[in-house]
Amino acid sequence: MRIGIPRALLYYNYYPLWYSFFKELGHQVVISSTTSKAVLDSGVTSCVDDACLPIKLFHGHVANLIGKVDAIFIPRLVSIYPDEYICPKFIGLPEMIKSSIKGLPHLIVLNCNAHRNLKDVHRGYMELGKMIGARYSQAARALQKAMANQHDYDLLLKEGQTPIDILNDDKPIEEVEAKGVIGLIGHPYLLYDEFISMRLIAKLRARGYAVLVPENIAQSQIEEVCAQLPKKLFWSYGKKLLGSGLAMLKGKKVDGIIFLSSFGCGIDAFIVELLQRYNHRLYRIPSALITVDEHSGEAGFNTRLEAFIDMIEWRNRREGYISAYGTSVFGH
Amino acid sequence: MKVTFPHMGQAYLAIKGLLDDLGIEVIVPPTITERTLEIGTKLSPEMACLPLKINIGNYIESIEKGADTIIITGSCGPCRFGYYGVVQKEILKDLGYDVDIIIFDPPNSDYRAFIERIRKLAGKNSWASIARAFRRASIIVEEADEMLDIALKKRAREVSRGDTDSRLYRFEREVMGKHGSYEILETIRKYKGILNQIEEKTGVSPLKIGLVGEIYTLIEPYVNLNIEKKLGYLGVEVYRSLTLNEWVKVHLSLDVKHKMRHKRILKKAAPYLNLCVGGHAWQTIANSVYYSECGLDGIIQIMPFGCMPEIVAESILPKVYQDYGTPIMTLVVDEMTGEAGYFTRLEAFVDLLEQKRRSKIDEYKEGLFRG
Repeated sequence: MRIGIPRALLYYNYYPLWYSFFKELGHQVVISSTTSKAVLDSGVTSCVDDACLPIKLFHGHVANLIGKVDAIFIPRLVSIYPDEYICPKFIGLPEMIKSSIKGLPHLIVLNCNAHRNLKDVHRGYMELGKMIGARYSQAARALQKAMANQHDYDLLLKEGQTPIDILNDDKPIEEVEAKGVIGLIGHPYLLYDEFISMRLIAKLRARGYAVLVPENIAQSQIEEVCAQLPKKLFWSYGKKLLGSGLAMLKGKKVDGIIFLSSFGCGIDAFIVELLQRYNHRLYRIPSALITVDEHSGEAGFNTRLEAFIDMIEWRNRREGYISAYGTSVFGH
Repeated sequence: MKVTFPHMGQAYLAIKGLLDDLGIEVIVPPTITERTLEIGTKLSPEMACLPLKINIGNYIESIEKGADTIIITGSCGPCRFGYYGVVQKEILKDLGYDVDIIIFDPPNSDYRAFIERIRKLAGKNSWASIARAFRRASIIVEEADEMLDIALKKRAREVSRGDTDSRLYRFEREVMGKHGSYEILETIRKYKGILNQIEEKTGVSPLKIGLVGEIYTLIEPYVNLNIEKKLGYLGVEVYRSLTLNEWVKVHLSLDVKHKMRHKRILKKAAPYLNLCVGGHAWQTIANSVYYSECGLDGIIQIMPFGCMPEIVAESILPKVYQDYGTPIMTLVVDEMTGEAGYFTRLEAFVDLLEQKRRSKIDEYKEGLFRG
């Protein structure tokens, strides 16, 4: 059977796991084509207007797979960690797809719900295996191998590579030779989709900066800083973004921080707000918020990026410049 | 300690009654006006949902009146409401307001923290009197919703337009001067009687529209631009799927019968959505199916812009329409919503339903004629 995986949402995080799981069970895996204007447009027209960009994009990638595959894989990631969720829209994703897109092939839905117990995830994959005609033992073995692959991938990420580097075989800039490090805070489906992020990572590297992404920060560090929040953050990815942002700021690992958010992202509205407030109160590192949606133009995006980098460079050059009156010309 | 809380429809009656009974000084935030919204919009994150912005406006207007403690409820996701308290605290802190925010999260595992918070609020009251005060507050919620239900029925049938609303207005004026749950309850009962006496047109059968959607938008009339009133004046009888009473009964009370009914309705959504996606999206689908089965003429879904769970419901509702044929309209409100355009959409929707009903009657008559 040819199984299609849409190149959207958490594809960038779980690609090795899903790919090798299906491969081990003897299925052919087809990935939807890379995001283009056509893919985005077909998503925008089929999805409800109020949804956010990533969800629309997912619709586009599903539509892109129609006709190429026998079944489309749709992950329903309710929760990936006990007592946490991802996003309401991720939970209702299969239903949204079913009611918005016509002429769909068979859908195979993974129910991943670790809200009560982390072990429930295993059951989700076993059910998925059953759905595509694998025996329990086969599925279990495939999952074990897939998990090992996923683990290797995660290790590479923690070493400082970004998912794009691994998927495209790019070489990251070493921190030593870079002019500085810029922290990028954004959901994986925005940062690593080169159409949506308008090759943000490559552009920063071209200017001589190394990048640090949330995937590079160790989970233990994220947990440590998030434990200090007044209330447990119940969005796994919200926690990852806020935690890695705070860890970058706290460890003084970055010269500047860029938030990449999509218009209408409910979680980012809160996470970015908190991160900006904490940054302003405690660390005061230059930060910029870039919001993208289906109408974003590249020229404006580039201008903002250039202005931001210029600001960092001026600040580095002149921060020690104290005026004769005893205060810095920048007022701090 | 001067306690305040955010507005949510009739909730202020119960909260005021509760806090009065416990002997806590309470400051009811001024009724939501354009100023409230303006303050909230200016100070809140741009992409936050509308309820958060209005809450911030409420707090600041109450602080201006002297409040120093804010009480709110919380939840544990995945809807954004669960993190309101934290974000709001940070906003007020950066603005330099020295207020205490007490967040009442549902006590999933941490009963001690929950009890400590109640203690902190209730001071020296005994547990028995706290329990009694809560009990009376829940009665206020129930009776206030019954009063509104009477108003919904009467508005579609009143002989001279505005009868119902002038009485409700008098009620709001009168109840503000009351102290304690007994007086508030007495006023509610008195006005229930007064509302019941409104003269009705005879021989009308109004169109019936069910409201589904996000709970705050449904309950707070300022946010939904008085949709119940507007529809009432168009001669429509409105059914509300989510009320405060409903919420209290499902989440706080031990009323098993009501919970069973709630579950039974939720089951109706099974072919479309069979799990909780946060907020009230599941209820939105289930109630739409329920209303369609009950034979209502139309359904309106209301949500604030960017509401994550309701977007899921919105994209599924067309399927419900396909299966049942009851027209469903989605209205999205935010701080930029204009009243005229909103009203036009309501009018058009009601026109459509009227035509649909008429053509149904014509078909029936034609059928009779042909034998």
